[in-house]
Amino acid sequence: MQTKLQPIPAANPVILSVRNLSLHYFQKTVFERRIPVTALTNVSLDLQRGKTLALVGSSGCGKSSLARCLVLLERPSFGEIVYAAQNLLELKSKELKEVRRDIHLIFQDSASALNPGMTIEEVLLEPLEIHEPTLAKKDRFLRLVSACEQAALSSKWLTRRPSELSGGQRQRVAIARSLISRPKILILDEALSALDLSTQSQIANLLLDLQREHSLTYLFITHDMRLARMLAHDVVVMKGGRILDSFPSSLLTPDIHANPASIGSISTAKDTETIRLQEIPSVNE
Amino acid sequence: MKQLAWRLGHRLLLLVGVSLCTFVLLSAAPGSFFDDLKLNPQVSPATVTKLQAQYGANRPLPERYARWVESIFRGDWGYSLSYHRPVGGLVWQRARNTLLLTTFAVLLAWMLALPWGIAEALYKGGWIDRTGEMILALLLATPDVLFALLLLLLAARTGWFPTGGMSSSEVADLSFGSRIWDLARHLFLPVVALALTTLPILALHVRSAMIGVLDAPFLSAAKGHGIPKFRLLYRHALPVALNSLISLFGFSVGSLLSISLLVEVILSWPGLGPLVVEAVLARDIYVVVAATMFSAVCLIAGNLLADFLLYCTDPRIRSVQS
Repeated sequence: MQTKLQPIPAANPVILSVRNLSLHYFQKTVFERRIPVTALTNVSLDLQRGKTLALVGSSGCGKSSLARCLVLLERPSFGEIVYAAQNLLELKSKELKEVRRDIHLIFQDSASALNPGMTIEEVLLEPLEIHEPTLAKKDRFLRLVSACEQAALSSKWLTRRPSELSGGQRQRVAIARSLISRPKILILDEALSALDLSTQSQIANLLLDLQREHSLTYLFITHDMRLARMLAHDVVVMKGGRILDSFPSSLLTPDIHANPASIGSISTAKDTETIRLQEIPSVNE
Repeated sequence: MKQLAWRLGHRLLLLVGVSLCTFVLLSAAPGSFFDDLKLNPQVSPATVTKLQAQYGANRPLPERYARWVESIFRGDWGYSLSYHRPVGGLVWQRARNTLLLTTFAVLLAWMLALPWGIAEALYKGGWIDRTGEMILALLLATPDVLFALLLLLLAARTGWFPTGGMSSSEVADLSFGSRIWDLARHLFLPVVALALTTLPILALHVRSAMIGVLDAPFLSAAKGHGIPKFRLLYRHALPVALNSLISLFGFSVGSLLSISLLVEVILSWPGLGPLVVEAVLARDIYVVVAATMFSAVCLIAGNLLADFLLYCTDPRIRSVQS
């Protein structure tokens, strides 16, 4: 099936554009009452080619819902997701195959994001079997080796299962699984949050290297302002399913009040998560 | 190999425990086979005492148990006072019929339960799920006896199926193919009754196991990578859900034997059921003990089969054991 996706002109800095995206669903209670829930309201943002956009906000503000919408694991109620001159929400499921090769989501909990019954080799090769079924066995193997090298994944782990690897190793597997099908956009949903500091910095550096080499675009969802400052070019703040503010990450200086508008809007929220955000010191400290 | 030996040893101990419990409980139960004889005015008390001594019924319990264990090694499994023959051959003849019935019932129940549970899980909350749940609730709430009686009524009213036994009177004159067809017609009602008894529990387990897996993040991750829906189901969801279902399969193999007794009695299937009922009423304890042991062996065999299947299907178990 030929998709309607058009090649994105190199001159166009915007690789993916989200326009007025809203997500509403009904939550069932014990007594079968359907309570309407609004996860996203009129969210608009642009992902710049080869850049990283950090999406920050307290728990339950809609960051993960947005991520799931972008990879079409959730169907938004209204709005547009424009990629390669096409609104993805208008494409049929068969036409989405190519999009799924280009935009990948990496989850926070790598342990539950990998099939426990499959070996790492099977996990890594599966996207290739789906997206490039005609690829010769030898070429498939070369792509596997290349993805492993890019994600600093040792070949001796290939015969193991996810439960036999550490959190950092599993996250490298998740990254390698994405890299093997040569994506354009990676959505990292708290992908570094569950890792210890040393592994966090290793993976963060790996992501920076990959971005430099392959012009990857990242949507980096995080609570950690230090990581946002280290990895992102721009920052978007979300609260209650809406975008509150956006600013360049360079404004996240040791003096957190450098951007009074954003910080002011964050500080109006009284939940502990927001307070924690403010308390996290900058990397320069 | 060490694991297998340990498991077999453990199961053997379990069988010894089951036989001991059955022996003690049956001995503690009031009445004995000879009580009916004592009430018969044509049989003198001296004859009854002589018979009790002849069959060792007046010996202490440990001695009777030891003699019974000894008889197992001869293949006798005790002596039936009602049938005047060793229990082993008697029970095995009936147990074969029960095994035939339960094998087909297990297969039918699983063949229905798997697609039923999977379909309900895939369309959770939709009309397929709701209708399926309603039918399963109805089946679950219906007593097993009622299923058998309704099927018996169907057979009697329509004449489509025989109402009892496992072969027609003229079976000896039939060709091989016709004999198989005759057996299939006799098997149909008991198999359906038995399968309907276990279907709701199996289908509900399959549904819940599949829902648990279909909601798993690794499935969302795989879907996000563009893995097609059908492949997600058979390559990702089913193998993971299979673990709990295999354990249930082992249990269903063993437990169906005890459920079948009632169906066999009502639908006159010449299996262990009618034999056990007669033996219990006549207090023919060695027949009851042998039937109980057979049931326990089937339960253990079912669980061992499940262990073996898990070993074959789940590489994590293999890696832990190696």
